[in-house]
Amino acid sequence: MNRNAPGYVLGFMAALCVVFGSGVATVHYATRDMLAANEQLNHNRVVCAAFDLPVSGRAAADYVRAMEQALEMATVQDGRGGIRQVYRRVDADAPVLGFTFWGMGFWDRIEGVAVLSADLQTLIRIRFLDHKETPGLGARIEEAAFLDQFEGLRPDWTASPERRVIIGSAAPAQAGNRVDSITGATQTSASLMQLLNEELERIRELDLSELEFKSLKETAP
Amino acid sequence: MSANARDIFKAGLIGDNPIYRQVLGICSALAVTNLLANTLFMCFGVVFTTALSNLTVSLLRRHIPKRVRMIAQVLIIASYVMIVDTLIRALNPDIHRFIGPYVGLIITNCIIMGRAEAFAGQNPPWPSLLDGLACGLGYSLVLIVIALVREPMGFGTLLGYPLPARELWWHSWTIMVMPPGAFFMLAIVTWIARSRFDAQKETPA
Repeated sequence: MNRNAPGYVLGFMAALCVVFGSGVATVHYATRDMLAANEQLNHNRVVCAAFDLPVSGRAAADYVRAMEQALEMATVQDGRGGIRQVYRRVDADAPVLGFTFWGMGFWDRIEGVAVLSADLQTLIRIRFLDHKETPGLGARIEEAAFLDQFEGLRPDWTASPERRVIIGSAAPAQAGNRVDSITGATQTSASLMQLLNEELERIRELDLSELEFKSLKETAP
Repeated sequence: MSANARDIFKAGLIGDNPIYRQVLGICSALAVTNLLANTLFMCFGVVFTTALSNLTVSLLRRHIPKRVRMIAQVLIIASYVMIVDTLIRALNPDIHRFIGPYVGLIITNCIIMGRAEAFAGQNPPWPSLLDGLACGLGYSLVLIVIALVREPMGFGTLLGYPLPARELWWHSWTIMVMPPGAFFMLAIVTWIARSRFDAQKETPA
């Protein structure tokens, strides 16, 4: 058989794609429960870190227990068709709210949790659920040195929608709504600033009084 | 072990070691070696992919059309890498968050493509499997040596466990956690290995 004939080449490559595509799909299917459990564990860890909840251990059940004791949750339809989760801390003196957020980073979608005071005047903490930024550059948005800057940040609701939170040097260094960008990751910093401002605007448009918060035990699947 | 198998392993581990002799796969060698656990998972991924892609390319070597052989090899390698990536993500998501981008880059790792093209395409399945294993283990050997120095010096731990009585004697070498530490260690390992194992003497021009 002529191995260079177009029909043979096409048939061979098609067969190769089917065989190896099936192999990859089979492995993915076989591990789907583990992948889902890992994703849920990551989500719970990030929420606990964002609210600074006390967690008794590192097992999945410890994070679930910490969240059930301290948080209530509501879901709300986002203007873009997505479901936004809103958490409310019930065991603290001052009420605080946590919102899942997402938007386009430099390479791909960035997802995270932002915890704000109930009047939305102070950003208490942000943490990231997922991103695909460049390791060593944009991925440094997960480092404590960057994240710590957001603690106590006060979004300037009187500023234009794209400058309520500023990441970078285009503002006085002392401005209460500004954090330093990441050196060598200008595009990630700019994308993050844009998505945070867009998401803060959407969060502000939510009618928080209409939300029906439920215990996490009730909302568990 | 037959003489042939012994030669293949000797070449992959020492004589033609992919890292210090061929200077291939350096990107991941520098990136993941500041923690031994990350290094071991990366090594597992490379050994798995090199061995199985070599075996597969060898089994199919009489059927792969010559003009699309590299596309076919990339497809085979990418499939094994996706399987490794899924397995690490399922078994240890914390490590996957750190080394995930580098696992994906195994697809473009010159060691794997190089062995598939240079060895597996011309040799029977058994020697090809051994060659893949040997090259993967040769890569792993150097990475593990580097990690065994970087993690204790940078973090004061080994596989995450604190070094004994480290508060009495250990002081953090932050540079070992950072990329320059990897460059220094790679150069030192290459220097020692070449001066120790290179039988071939350089002759003056």
